[in-house]
Amino acid sequence: MSLKVDRDSMAFTFKGGMLPMTVMELTSADPERIREQLAGKLSQSPAFFQHTPVVLNVEKLDEPHLALERICAVCRAHKLLPVAVRGGPDPVKQSAWALGLGWFPPQDASRPRPLESVAGDGDADSADSAESVELSEPSVEAVAPDALPGTTAGGRIYRGTVRSGQQVTAPEGDLVVVGAVNAGAEVLAAGSVHVYGALRGRALAGIHGDALAGIFCRELHAELLSVAGNYKRLEDIDPRLLGTTVQVRLIDDQLGITSLA
Amino acid sequence: MAKIIVVTSGKGGVGKTTSAAAIATGLALRGKKTVVIDFDVGLRNLDLIMGCERRVVYDLVNVIQGEAGLNQALIRDKRVDNLHILPASQTRDKDALTLEGVEKVLDTLNKDFDFIICDSPAGIERGAQLAMYFADAAIVVTNPEVSSVRDSDRILGLLASKTRRAERGEDPIQEHLLITRYNPSRVDLGDMLNLEDIREILAIDLLGLIPESEAVLRASNQGVPVTHDDDSDAGQAYADTVARLLGEEVPLRFHEYQKKSLLSRMFGGVRR
Repeated sequence: MSLKVDRDSMAFTFKGGMLPMTVMELTSADPERIREQLAGKLSQSPAFFQHTPVVLNVEKLDEPHLALERICAVCRAHKLLPVAVRGGPDPVKQSAWALGLGWFPPQDASRPRPLESVAGDGDADSADSAESVELSEPSVEAVAPDALPGTTAGGRIYRGTVRSGQQVTAPEGDLVVVGAVNAGAEVLAAGSVHVYGALRGRALAGIHGDALAGIFCRELHAELLSVAGNYKRLEDIDPRLLGTTVQVRLIDDQLGITSLA
Repeated sequence: MAKIIVVTSGKGGVGKTTSAAAIATGLALRGKKTVVIDFDVGLRNLDLIMGCERRVVYDLVNVIQGEAGLNQALIRDKRVDNLHILPASQTRDKDALTLEGVEKVLDTLNKDFDFIICDSPAGIERGAQLAMYFADAAIVVTNPEVSSVRDSDRILGLLASKTRRAERGEDPIQEHLLITRYNPSRVDLGDMLNLEDIREILAIDLLGLIPESEAVLRASNQGVPVTHDDDSDAGQAYADTVARLLGEEVPLRFHEYQKKSLLSRMFGGVRR
């Protein structure tokens, strides 16, 4: 009964939101090396360092303890604002909380990888893919018995037209829309986005950074296509592809749109 | 039990009030007890289109705030027996409407009428949401242009989420598309969106198609709903629309450009 609520009496409302976030993927735990590299970047593009919030991703580091406080201090000194840490063992999580930072679970374990990684088309990723398939299988089994009708493991099936102003999100898996996505509407998924109809609105796949996610649609008129933060606007799309059945995937950090017809 | 129908669009100036007046008149002419309510508090227009502006004493806001009884505010139409008008206030704004107040008015009208037509204000804010909140069916008025289609799409999203039926998980609101100001020759030239494109984007059933017509402007300025002008194409198109609303199967007309338009219009007149 949103209309009945007296807005004046409420101090706040909780809203789900998707904000673009810079992830700083650490490959070294040495604050000095981080400082050197940051100093170099700062001189190249000072505009970027305007108290930009960043998430420190420590998944690639294999260290039980981190000098998290010093790393944060280095970041702040270069006008980066660490707001959370992603990944790392329990001590890292504890020290992140002690520093007043949030903690996110590591990317790979939190959700099954999209099907495409199973196929592993023989490129350099295939070793990685095999690993992530193993990770994903237990969680698929765990979710399936409780899944509501019309949901896939961690994903979502939406039947009907997604209308202007509406936003449909699958925060953990693939999103399947059986219908059209109209102009002014937005569909988002941690995995891939599949639209069995015309895609006229915005479609964002891999919203947590999954570069293997894709967008598939029956009729392309999208206002915006994005995979793992790499986007193309309607203006940037080859007009010959408009109105056709396509898949969109990330190839060498570039969005590639190819016809499926 | 009355059926509550909201006439809405999102975009302004597409013909909501004209359509609400014409459809309410058409329903009353078919013998249905009908009341049409102006929800556009502050920008009252319905009374002008219905030609009863000189008989307004009390209005919807007076009734909601307990300053007048419903029967004092209802205006009986001079031309059709079964038709009543509940005007909006011109001196207040939309904050004067409350959800409880609107519910009470509709509950009272429910007992005495077959149809309650709610003429929604433009926009998607409070006034428009109150007009649609209790509806059983919605007539979404759309012009054949992209901005109007997009706004209608937005309204359809709200109808599916911000109404009593949606919040209670009841059967969803029946959604009907009414295309107004359709000019087949300009559609053929590519100046206007065509019927099929609009239907494809909005994906709801087509209730009626009203051709762009001089009769509509004339009717508005004379304060006589265009349904009374049964020689005009727009008047006939609204009569068709009302028939479909009552569940009759009526073939679509006025959607194709015809060179022999005078002749076919004459035959159209004879057939009626």
